[in-house]
Amino acid sequence: MATYLLTTASITLANKACDILKSNGYACAVERTPKNLASGCGYSVRLKGNIEYAVSLLESNGITPKDIISQGEDGG
Amino acid sequence: MVNFDNAATTFPKPETVTAAMEEALLKYGGNPGRSGHKLSLQTAEAVYSARKICADFFGAEPENIVFTLNCTHALNYAIKGAMRENGHIITSDLEHNSVIRPINSLAKHGAEYSIAHVFPDDEKTLCSFEELIRPDTKLIVCTAASNVTGQRLPIEQIAELCDRKNICFIVDAAQGAGVIPIKIGGGINFICAPGHKGLYGPSGTGILVSDGKYSLKPIIEGGTGSLSMDKEQPDFMPDALESGTVNTAGIYALGKGVEFVMQTGITEIFCHEEMLCQRFLRGLQKIGGTKAYRQRGALYVPIVSFNAEGFSSNELASLLGDESFCLRGGLHCAGTAHTAIGTAPDGTVRFAPSVFSTAKEVDDLLSCLKKILQKP
Repeated sequence: MATYLLTTASITLANKACDILKSNGYACAVERTPKNLASGCGYSVRLKGNIEYAVSLLESNGITPKDIISQGEDGG
Repeated sequence: MVNFDNAATTFPKPETVTAAMEEALLKYGGNPGRSGHKLSLQTAEAVYSARKICADFFGAEPENIVFTLNCTHALNYAIKGAMRENGHIITSDLEHNSVIRPINSLAKHGAEYSIAHVFPDDEKTLCSFEELIRPDTKLIVCTAASNVTGQRLPIEQIAELCDRKNICFIVDAAQGAGVIPIKIGGGINFICAPGHKGLYGPSGTGILVSDGKYSLKPIIEGGTGSLSMDKEQPDFMPDALESGTVNTAGIYALGKGVEFVMQTGITEIFCHEEMLCQRFLRGLQKIGGTKAYRQRGALYVPIVSFNAEGFSSNELASLLGDESFCLRGGLHCAGTAHTAIGTAPDGTVRFAPSVFSTAKEVDDLLSCLKKILQKP
């Protein structure tokens, strides 16, 4: 299954995003945005599954990810 | 000790709140939103859980919940933050100093303000606000209920007025949150609430709720764990207004307090406390020689302010305190409100029950009061 990193502006937005995604059946977790991807500090949501639906869920809840980074397949 | 000073801070707290304080201190020891390690992330999740509960309670989005140290801080953030430029402010004559003093401070730097009289009749109160609106009125801020008498203001109608006139409206929910329904939106742009009163959280907690329509100019700036290379304060919520390490244990426990209020039910809480107020008022009437500050036609939250002939308010509160009854005498940090009801400068004694107060405690207080007042 494909893994993605959705970067957000803040820990609160990352927690909110993760909460919405989890309640819609996604496997996800909040983590610090890797240094090479962040302009300063930030938090991201690592998720597995359908990225298009995940983003639409978030956008309908007022969250637009700053970046969406594909992390490839995890073999699962 | 019997606490009837719950309008200052509720005590005791629900067991879930005290347990949450311990749980947070034992488990959520990281700095939320500052690191990527497990301790920080699980602490951030605990803070977010409380943010979400508060958001549900006030009808807001979680990111529009800002945790503050108390209601006064929330009001300062909102009032000073909303007045980016000078203009005209309207408030009421039943306000606490946490509203009056920030406004007075802004007035020293060019803002102007007017004070609307609150009547027992909500329509008249609404008119007194509307009549003061000027072309440069930028802000209306008022309490949902007086901390002195408990009198409620028609905040829904004032919110509609503000919405119609495109004026920012801030509600001081210090005495309203947890006993009457107050939701963000519908013209209410900001709600400021203490965590430690009707929401049954610990001291050192407060909430600023936004509907997202107006952005506030931060009055405190600093570390937020976001955009750290930028010298400018982030402009997104809650980071814009939440600089520095938050009170994790307090916030987590506040979430449990709000949960307790939601599970118990605001109507249940209000009815229980108001029933005790009515019992107290009937008792006062029987004792005689007392004056309670409630007016026919007005609506109240469960607070009774009173005085007794021959005693100053502080003297009477002190005598009751000697008998282990905790009531607050004096001006309640609301000189303007006491002036409005004619009780300045001595003030009143304030009776404020909580959901944990009992009818027996009220009867015991009345017996004690009777003894004090009937002493030769």
